[in-house]
Amino acid sequence: MDVKKAVGTYHRNLAIVIGALILLFCLIPVFVKTPYIINIFVLVFYISTMSMAWNILGGMTGQNSLGLAAYMGIGAYTVCLVVTKLGWNPWAVSILAMLVTGLIAGVIFFPCFILQGPYFTLVSIAFAESMRQFIINSEFFGRASGVGLPFGGDSFAQFRFASKVPYFYVGLIMMIAVYAIMKTIDRTKIGFALKTIREDEDAAAAIGINPTKYKVIAVVISAMVAGFVGFFYASYIRYVDPDLMVQAKSTEFVLPAVVGGAAYVEGPLVGGLIMIPLSEFLRANFARVLPGINMIMYAIVLLVVIRFRPSGILGWYMDSDFKKFIDEKILKKPPLDVLEEYQMMNYESRKGGK
Amino acid sequence: MDVLLQAIVNGILLGGFYALMGMGQNIIFGVMKIVNFCHGEMLMVGMYLTYMLYTYAGIDPYLALPLVALIMFFLGAVIQHTLITPSLKTKSFTNLLFLTVGLGLLLSNGALVLFGSDYKSIRTSYSQTTIPIGPVSVALPRLISFCVLIVVTIALFTFLKYSTVGKQIRAVSQNPVGAEVCGINVKRIYLLTYGLGIALAGIAGCLLTQFYSIFPTAGAGFGFRALIVVVVGGLGSIPGAFFAGILLGLLEQMSALFISPSYSDMIVFITFIVILVVRQLIIMRRK
Repeated sequence: MDVKKAVGTYHRNLAIVIGALILLFCLIPVFVKTPYIINIFVLVFYISTMSMAWNILGGMTGQNSLGLAAYMGIGAYTVCLVVTKLGWNPWAVSILAMLVTGLIAGVIFFPCFILQGPYFTLVSIAFAESMRQFIINSEFFGRASGVGLPFGGDSFAQFRFASKVPYFYVGLIMMIAVYAIMKTIDRTKIGFALKTIREDEDAAAAIGINPTKYKVIAVVISAMVAGFVGFFYASYIRYVDPDLMVQAKSTEFVLPAVVGGAAYVEGPLVGGLIMIPLSEFLRANFARVLPGINMIMYAIVLLVVIRFRPSGILGWYMDSDFKKFIDEKILKKPPLDVLEEYQMMNYESRKGGK
Repeated sequence: MDVLLQAIVNGILLGGFYALMGMGQNIIFGVMKIVNFCHGEMLMVGMYLTYMLYTYAGIDPYLALPLVALIMFFLGAVIQHTLITPSLKTKSFTNLLFLTVGLGLLLSNGALVLFGSDYKSIRTSYSQTTIPIGPVSVALPRLISFCVLIVVTIALFTFLKYSTVGKQIRAVSQNPVGAEVCGINVKRIYLLTYGLGIALAGIAGCLLTQFYSIFPTAGAGFGFRALIVVVVGGLGSIPGAFFAGILLGLLEQMSALFISPSYSDMIVFITFIVILVVRQLIIMRRK
């Protein structure tokens, strides 16, 4: 019973901390009224979500895709086109957008799964770029000028607001939901299979994990999340053009994950929360004098992190005394053997129940 | 017919640049097994270097060529020594990939800060000169650049094949551990290789200034095409890179002529994907 109690306290403390963090975020629009600040948070939410979408493929499976922006673009185009041409409800179309991007990623991209390492990266870039070129040359997709969403009064059904605050909340929910999904994947069989493939693909195949099957799963999940972010982006900006799909955007979506720590599910969140406000601050204050200064800062932080902290900011934190302090004093995390015993107890009782 | 001939000649001359870029990428990829994602940006740095030497020191672009190559070599060696060699130890492909991506971001945005986003160009007395060869006419700078390409290809091929350092480079590319056991200083070879690859990108940039505008993202298209050249031409093969580059240039010009200029990029990328997949299928079949 002692074990149960200790672990119970730990879980309760953890829940309190996470709840307090979420509450803090929920309260931001109540106290901060500047649209500019709210806009930065919306950016943080959707870029971090994109980064998490990349992370399941890049960080967890070790397949470095550099073409994620294309899937986001496809999602955004699906939403804009179906809403303007067929008049569907945007929320319904968001499901459709996810299906379309998932289908494109799973079916058209399918032959590319046999490629490994750098070749996979190259093909992801080539794939994204040919998608973009196709859209630029297609009358149906509005060529280079893009497609807009209809304007009008505030309406939740149409996901259309003049204020940025509703987008803030939807973005926050989207980020938390995607995080929960990623965390669940990380802890279940799929996550372990993906991580095994990352470490050694041949070994994974030898112990009965079908690498192609799990890579398809990872790519499709990643693309579907990107498609949903595309829906969010299109509803927020009310407009989409092929510039969304350029390779620089794909890179921008990956950076928070690499800076934060690609091996961790929380990495993109940490990286996004630190990097995006900093980048926006620099852009707003110095862009007129020094264009590109925010990207230079991004690049320097990236180089420094890779050179001195290869496992990212979160990897650094995981090894630090600071984490030990927080774990022991604030969260009251029990020692590892107690946690393991608790897991065994859980497992036994579940087995007994069946 | 004349149009077709002209397109073929243009394709070959354009392909020369892809070949030059591809060779640099090829030795880097072949030796260190890392994809240098800032290769296009290095080309851009070479272009700006030539531009600065021309405007501030009055050095003719072709005379500046060895100087640009030398400066780029040292730039590459410094980057290799300070950033890439220490990161090679982590053996994380993701980190190495984003290291070069970060370098590319730094270079292109650095150029944006230093030179602004406006297009610059170098106009020399001979840059508009054209030479008629039969029914087609060829711009003199393009012809010169093609001659430089041939010289560089032969020099590089001989260097890798017969010189001691060249043999060491090939040894490291086949097996770094084995090479180290044999007494080769692998870190020094890495330094030389990366410097050499960057110098080749610098040469391409220097030659390109004659008929291409200079702007911070000038190298992006070339950088990716260099990767295509590496994959199609085969790892570590200098003649392979040469022919693959020219084929790529021809493919681009032909698809622009016969299909549509706006689709030529897309056709290049799709061809690349198909080649990659088919190549992998062949490798898997052999196993």
